[in-house]
Amino acid sequence: MAGRAQIPTSNSALIAMIADEDTVTGFLMAGVGNVDLRRKTNYLIVDSKTTVKAIEDAFKEFTTKDDIAIILISQYVANMIRFLVDSYNKPVPAILEIPSKDHPYDPAHDSVLSRVKYLFAAESVASGRY
Amino acid sequence: MEQETPILENVEQELAIVEQQQRQQLAEEVEQSANVLQFMDSLDAYLTLIHSLSSTLRQGWLDLASARHSMGVSRVNTVLLDHKFHPASTSLLVTQDEEKVDSMEPHFTLCKWASSGNEKLLLGETQSDQDKLQPQPRRRGGSQLYEEKTSHENKASHQVDQVQRERCKSLSVFGTLVSPKLRAAQLSFETALETLVEIANMRSTMLCAFDKVHKMQGDSKG
Repeated sequence: MAGRAQIPTSNSALIAMIADEDTVTGFLMAGVGNVDLRRKTNYLIVDSKTTVKAIEDAFKEFTTKDDIAIILISQYVANMIRFLVDSYNKPVPAILEIPSKDHPYDPAHDSVLSRVKYLFAAESVASGRY
Repeated sequence: MEQETPILENVEQELAIVEQQQRQQLAEEVEQSANVLQFMDSLDAYLTLIHSLSSTLRQGWLDLASARHSMGVSRVNTVLLDHKFHPASTSLLVTQDEEKVDSMEPHFTLCKWASSGNEKLLLGETQSDQDKLQPQPRRRGGSQLYEEKTSHENKASHQVDQVQRERCKSLSVFGTLVSPKLRAAQLSFETALETLVEIANMRSTMLCAFDKVHKMQGDSKG
């Protein structure tokens, strides 16, 4: 097996969450919850009162922190800040869109699949032919 | 006759060049096909894992709803969450394949229930695994072997106990006695976490393969 070098994040990188209450509660029970010395958490619970600005701020904060390796975001929440999510293209932290209780996963909206779907477009197939 | 020799030599040289170019082209096509295959495989795996994740999460939400029903809404609530300083028990290790320095393909490894005490256990276990790989002196008696086996089993059971303690600690915010459905929900979300890490790795493989295909397409057009 090839050697692996550690990418510059802290030794224990975190999983951040921007999701509904049940999803966040479930993953907190699985031990991913982190509260730092400034009482800042690695999650944002989104409900009917959460503003789009708050979601955007949380997303920007989590994507700029060195100690976060994966961000879980409910797809319906990602749709609220779709422009931000689609314009993000760094490998770490990885943005994973997950389903929620009331909103099943839709591959058509997944930002990763949107990025690669052009390979299947008719124009690209025709232009690739010799 | 003498004039034909240099002409023949030129023709041979040109043929050799054409052959080399054809071989190069073939090698590029083979590489391109391999990249496309890798991309398609990783895309398929990604979608399959997402489907599996959806099913695991559904089970987790159902168990959580059942726990809320049996324990009461006020007992299974995010209001009870601990906002004092505490590090995450479950975290990630992010590495990169040293051979693939050009392409940023990170690899994620899940470290479940690694409290400060547990970490030392995990490191100690790694060290003993490394020792096993090195040649060992021949043992004279079976008792030493038995002692080592027992010690290894003790370490494993100690680790299991540690993990159970961490699980109980995580649920303790909801009270001392919790519904079995809450424990089931915890296990479902742990499984979901493992699937998510696989999805993250598949995602980075897919994007890496996509970049290669995209780059080769650009080179062939240019």
